[in-house]
Amino acid sequence: MRNDPLLSIKGLRVEFPTQDGPLVAVNNVDLDVARGEVLGIVGESGSGKTVLGLSAMGLIDRPGRLTAGQVVFDGQDVTKYSESGWRNIRGNRIAMIFQDPTTSLNPVQQIGAQMIEALQSHRDISRDNARQIIRNAMVRVGINSPDERLNAYPHQFSGGMRQRVVIAIALLNEPDLIIADEPTTALDVTIQAQILRDMRRLSRDTRTSLVWVTHDLGVVAQIAQRVAVMYAGRIVENGPTEKILKSPCHPYTEGLIASMPANALPGERLHSIPGGLPQLSKLPAGCSFAPRCNYAASACNMSPKLIQISSDHAVRCVSPLDGGS
Amino acid sequence: MFAFILRRTIQSVIVLFVMSLLVFCMINLVGDPVDMLVNPESLPDEIERVRRDFGLDQPVYSQYWHFLKGALSGDLGKSYVFGRPALALMAERFPATLELAFCALIIAVTIGLPLGIYAGLRPDGFATRIMMGMSVLGISIPTFWLGLMMIILFSVILGWLPVSGRGDIGVFLGIESSIFTMDGLRHLIMPATNLALFKIAMVMRLARAGTSEVMAQDFIRFARAQGLPRKRIIKSHLLPNILIPIVTVIGIEFGTLIAFATVTESIFSWPGLGKLVIDAIINLDRPVVVAYLLFVVALFLTLNLIVDIIYAALDPRVRLQGDDT
Ligand SMILES: Nc1ncnc2c1ncn2[C@@H]1O[C@H](COP(=O)(O)OP(=O)(O)OP(=O)(O)O)[C@@H](O)[C@H]1O
Ligand SMILES: [Mg+2]
Repeated sequence: MRNDPLLSIKGLRVEFPTQDGPLVAVNNVDLDVARGEVLGIVGESGSGKTVLGLSAMGLIDRPGRLTAGQVVFDGQDVTKYSESGWRNIRGNRIAMIFQDPTTSLNPVQQIGAQMIEALQSHRDISRDNARQIIRNAMVRVGINSPDERLNAYPHQFSGGMRQRVVIAIALLNEPDLIIADEPTTALDVTIQAQILRDMRRLSRDTRTSLVWVTHDLGVVAQIAQRVAVMYAGRIVENGPTEKILKSPCHPYTEGLIASMPANALPGERLHSIPGGLPQLSKLPAGCSFAPRCNYAASACNMSPKLIQISSDHAVRCVSPLDGGS
Repeated sequence: MFAFILRRTIQSVIVLFVMSLLVFCMINLVGDPVDMLVNPESLPDEIERVRRDFGLDQPVYSQYWHFLKGALSGDLGKSYVFGRPALALMAERFPATLELAFCALIIAVTIGLPLGIYAGLRPDGFATRIMMGMSVLGISIPTFWLGLMMIILFSVILGWLPVSGRGDIGVFLGIESSIFTMDGLRHLIMPATNLALFKIAMVMRLARAGTSEVMAQDFIRFARAQGLPRKRIIKSHLLPNILIPIVTVIGIEFGTLIAFATVTESIFSWPGLGKLVIDAIINLDRPVVVAYLLFVVALFLTLNLIVDIIYAALDPRVRLQGDDT
């Protein structure tokens, strides 16, 4: 079994030019995903989770672009890949599931045809073989009687069903890595729990690495072995899920945990972190969380470095909380 | 489907009736056809006799009643000038106009669609800017001026193409058309292009707008994330989605091509409907004008119906109203 990470992101920076100057959506991010690991990425809306996921697929929308750093996938620096190089990886070795299941499928093409296309763009197989693989993938995500579904159009499916189809498409080519961008936010809680369970089992059985993007720490607790917390384009804390949930070292992580519905006392208002994300094109000098932080001090005017709390736990804060106190 | 067509047909008959009433009343406000029919030196009782012969001494409502009775049995009156049924005259001229409009449509789509898609895919390209500039010209330059310039350039100066007329007519599969002879094509190409210019610009703009809208959709990004080749994305994801609005507009535009062929037909002396009706208007040949206007209304109603049916066939989400099957 190989020990080098499957995906290794180093010093990544993604910028979108805007009228107020460059908007830094991903800011000096280092992140490793081990083989067979489930990694959660949490952060509030606009913190750059989707852009980070897209950059691992080479799918950043123009005029946005990578301005620094590397994406190394399975030992290869893919940052410099040509479009056809990327094409061989996308859907084949890395699959991505997008945030909104209702709009991910082509409205005027039958589900079956879309799935066959996804298969045939990477493998030279007959329609019959393709159908067999598709059936298996659909059953695996819990779609019963797949044969009847193949000729249906996306609008004939419920939102939950559509998301299952999207997940099935991601599974088709048996990728090494699946990046799931809040794939369950649109679904109700029972289906969400079911999909989380299925995906965790899939990852364990096939040693598929999974990056699960969400703004819900509860979901992370259910599925991820390790979690990276993102704030304003940066990763502010990174470590094993249990450690981080029990003893967060970054004030932002602490705030996120306090605002989990499960941690609310009955009859009391849900906690929320005061203030909002800073404008990404005009980041303040120093720690970008400082304006909202209860512990802010003058030292926070300096840009905080990543501090290694333990071998597998790092935090970007000048005065990390010492675990649960 | 049947219920839908039936309902639309009934609606169409009502619209036609109202239109005939309007057209008939309005045309009776313009000039006195008898002045055009008799020798200016005729004696007053001679003039009165002609007026009686044509039924023009009757009040408008009884003239209309007479017309309506005829119309219900398929007789829209006789041309004052030719002394023959207006419908028969139109039927003789219609193939020439149809042929012209059809060729113009083909030219507009084969040139406009690929250019528009290109422009939509490369919004900032140099070629795109040039094309969009040209399309503004195409929309704003008057057809007759361009027609005259084309005649001067290609017929008078270069001597490549004949100035006017329809040329030889060939027969293929029982269809008579000048498309089937070399001479016919040489006569057809200039007026058809002239008629098409405006529509090329229009199809191009529609295709460009559709392309940039569809390319920004999630399902295109998801298709790219599956590693689908670019050609495939254009063929099975982009095209079917932009064709829906384009087909609708083209269907309606085919009607306007026929209706507005008048200008082009006059410049190139194309022996079609347009030339017939211009002559009829000049000669106050009321039955022909009325028949032509009603024909155009009927044409638009039919095209609208056909477009709706095609639209439903292209877009699985659309169900025709009144269609319960
Ligand atoms: N195509 C784009 N053009 C310009 N700015 C963009 C683009 N895509 C993302 N951004 C900006 O990048 C920042 C990060 O966006 P991103 O979508 O990654 O956030 P997110 O963490 O996924 O949020 P959410 O939870 O709402 O999905 C935002 O400020 C957003 O405005
Ligand atoms: Mg997102």
